[in-house]
Amino acid sequence: MKRISSCSMYKMSVRLLTLRALRGAPGLCRRTPAVTGGFRAAYSAATRDQRSVITESTDEYKFVERLIPPTRIPDPPKHVGVAPSGWIPPAESPPPLPYMIRRSRMHNIPVYSDLTHGNRRLTLVRKVEGDIWALEKDVREYLRQVTGKELPTQVNEVTMTLKVKGHFEQELKDWLASKGF
Amino acid sequence: MLRFSCLVFSRGAARRFASSFSSETALPPNLRLPSNLVDPDRLRRPPPPEDSSLPLIRKCDAALPAHLSPVRTWVDTLESKDSEPLGLTELHPDVFAVSPRLDILHAVETWQRNYKRISHANTKVRSEVRGGGRKPWNQKGSGRARHGSIRSPLWRGGGVSHGPRGPKSYYYMLPMKVRVQGLKVALSSKMAQQYLHVVDSLNIPTPDSQYLLELIRSRHWGESVLLVDVSEEFPENILQATENLKTVNLIPAIGLNVHSMLKHEAVILTLDTVRFLEEKLLWHDERYTFLYPLKLPYSDFP
Repeated sequence: MKRISSCSMYKMSVRLLTLRALRGAPGLCRRTPAVTGGFRAAYSAATRDQRSVITESTDEYKFVERLIPPTRIPDPPKHVGVAPSGWIPPAESPPPLPYMIRRSRMHNIPVYSDLTHGNRRLTLVRKVEGDIWALEKDVREYLRQVTGKELPTQVNEVTMTLKVKGHFEQELKDWLASKGF
Repeated sequence: MLRFSCLVFSRGAARRFASSFSSETALPPNLRLPSNLVDPDRLRRPPPPEDSSLPLIRKCDAALPAHLSPVRTWVDTLESKDSEPLGLTELHPDVFAVSPRLDILHAVETWQRNYKRISHANTKVRSEVRGGGRKPWNQKGSGRARHGSIRSPLWRGGGVSHGPRGPKSYYYMLPMKVRVQGLKVALSSKMAQQYLHVVDSLNIPTPDSQYLLELIRSRHWGESVLLVDVSEEFPENILQATENLKTVNLIPAIGLNVHSMLKHEAVILTLDTVRFLEEKLLWHDERYTFLYPLKLPYSDFP
């Protein structure tokens, strides 16, 4: 009786399992010869073939590269009029006003609402360039038409921002978008 | 005493009354500037006119905002002492013409001074001073004040109760965008005060320090000059010329910082430096928030 050591039994079973797994995944393994008689010889021949011809290819790295994110924010696609999400693109040329309000880095209008101390409502207009006092006058006039009240405003000439008491984020955004900023 | 104090106060009141009677335009004494602050020879060369005949050597690579126009400056050369400007260059307004935010400049300058600071001041507490374990005399009966150890802070030679304790670090980081804005504000301020000059390259004909000093004096650049180039390898001549000069210094463009720009009166950039600075500083205006540290790969970051 041929004595098969446990070590060789283990190796044979490993080879059997790996080859069966390989055979299950098409395109990854070579066509192994039909296994009828010469079991061990066929398997060793197959593994020798596989071990001798190993190709390295870096073509598949493109699948990794397309997943790496970019750092720069892209320009938005050209929309005629309002986009389906409600985003309004800026006008082609800046409006002929003494002030200019730039878009944020995500191409939105820089008007933000703030709530502090639980009850203090503020609306902040950032990224103002030019004559900020003219903007303050126009904002006060527009909000007086909208609400009928004289709202206190604060101009910070160093940071070029404008604060208005109350939540008027949406009204100011629509008004600025209609102006073409 | 009362009469003396009345006399003193009335003298001051008279001075104050005099200033209120004088014209409205008289500045208070703390806002009056000395008349020799600005060298008039430096301001004699105005910025290039619209219809200048010199060629435009460089246009801005990045897209300009629609409502801003680029800043135009002369491009000089260091080859000869009295030479005309080679041409003009356009500088991006979002780097060289931002609003002069002195508060940001102050914040970045103090950060640069303090974030590296480690103060090693250390004093010993009463437990660390040698000795002082035994009660000097009995609690009661000796007639002297009661004490527990001879090294308490009340005693001469005793420990310090609330002194500096060990090496202390003053490290803190300002947000990256604030530091970038500080660089832009510093460059714009230098540009606005006509202390910024653009040069085609840092090649000089001789490795002579005197040549450089005479060139700087003839062009009225200022007392101290900072020469900035992109690469870390500088031409031999300029390296030798600036080696023994205290007021003329070379730095690569990656080493440009607000403190150096404020310390030196004039800042000289090469055309390659201008391109490098515009590319790096404008990228921060249109970048996403970082998903992961920049050491890991991004698709459009080198």
